[in-house]
Amino acid sequence: MTTTHVARAVTTTRGPLLYARSRALPLTVAALAGTAAFAVWAAGRLDAYLDPDRRVPIVALAPLLASAVIGASLYSASDELDRTAVRPWWPRRLAQLAALTALAALLLTPAVLGHPETFGPPAVLRNTLGCTGLTATAAVLLGARLSWLPAFGYVTAVYLGSTTAHGRAATVWAWPTQPGAQPGAWAAALTAFVVGATLYAVRGARPEGSRG
Amino acid sequence: MTSIRATGLRVRHRKTLALDSLDLDLGTGVHGLLGPNGAGKTSLIRVLATVARPDAGRVELLGEDVAGHRGLAGVRRRLGYLPQEFGYYPGFTVREFVAYVAWLKEMPAARVPAAVERAVARVGLADRIDAKVRTLSGGMVRRVGIAQAVVNDPAVLLLDEPTAGLDPEQRVEFRELLRELGVSATVVVSTHLVEDVAAACTEVTLLDAGRVAYRGTPEALTVLGESSDGPGDHPIERGYTAALRAHRAPGEREAV
Repeated sequence: MTTTHVARAVTTTRGPLLYARSRALPLTVAALAGTAAFAVWAAGRLDAYLDPDRRVPIVALAPLLASAVIGASLYSASDELDRTAVRPWWPRRLAQLAALTALAALLLTPAVLGHPETFGPPAVLRNTLGCTGLTATAAVLLGARLSWLPAFGYVTAVYLGSTTAHGRAATVWAWPTQPGAQPGAWAAALTAFVVGATLYAVRGARPEGSRG
Repeated sequence: MTSIRATGLRVRHRKTLALDSLDLDLGTGVHGLLGPNGAGKTSLIRVLATVARPDAGRVELLGEDVAGHRGLAGVRRRLGYLPQEFGYYPGFTVREFVAYVAWLKEMPAARVPAAVERAVARVGLADRIDAKVRTLSGGMVRRVGIAQAVVNDPAVLLLDEPTAGLDPEQRVEFRELLRELGVSATVVVSTHLVEDVAAACTEVTLLDAGRVAYRGTPEALTVLGESSDGPGDHPIERGYTAALRAHRAPGEREAV
């Protein structure tokens, strides 16, 4: 073996790098960046400086798209072999989910700068946490490939139905369309994230047929 | 020395009892695991591979009770496992996939590149080491599976249907590899191919309905077949059938 060959072999066989590739993390980061760019472009067309409420579609739907991307990355192609790993999986799973959620929130923030009390960065952060929590729970129960579906159904239903909903209960169940300073909405989204992250860290995504 | 000790193993899949109070001791050598479909071979291999938990019973691997977390990590470092169907990330080359499993086994990073090349060479795929796994034929993918199972030079190697998809020449080469591995490791091979057992195994365990129906050497199973007039083209196939039928016939179990 030549020196170049040895160096290449060492580089391509580094465990953490292989783990990241096995979860399609480079593709996931690229897709999150694409989602963020789309959100910035769409927000620019809403003339939100006239009225922050015009941002509701961005605040509700951009985190939903980002959570779908994160959900797809929870798929493990080699689930049966992964179960023989020496180290427990929960720290890696938790780190992956938390890092992607933080990255998604960070990337989406430029689309909604300003107006933190209504539909600004706090609302996007809250919705990213909530949607990712729902997606992670769905990955555990249904599998990663369909993990986007329940969050998509719920957020779409809330988005379409919340305009006529009022009262304290609505601030909780309609959390994706609430202003950033609404405590009930934060409680609901944080609960969804804690439940989803805990379930996913402990159990992992539901095994699915190999696509390899 | 006993490397695998299973006591009172019970595994249930919904309403079916896959393993029924099974006791088994296996030491160094190549052990063929035979039995009809649904006999419990895969359930046993998965429990021994520590990917499935039994509903009851105890498993000791390399002297450690695998129910304890501390013992489990040490055992998994020295365990190799080829599932019936293993998945792989489609973008991985052979080298990357085998290295990924070496990482799962926590092999020291400095040893991984050489260990990967050795494992891949052992299954005859050295010239395809940088090919994407998804571009390989079914038989080659199976050999990649064998390579990942032996990358850490396991003390206990569990292979579920390893020869499925291999052509006759590859099977002969694989039997040679089994014999080589069986000198120092405990190798358990679940298969339907009785001739593989006859050629490469030092012991045979026949499962039926979640219980051990027969244990002995391939030679003893062949002798049993020679003295029986059951179906089968070769004595060991007749021995397999005779042992199964004797196990199923009430009152005749003691005879086997």
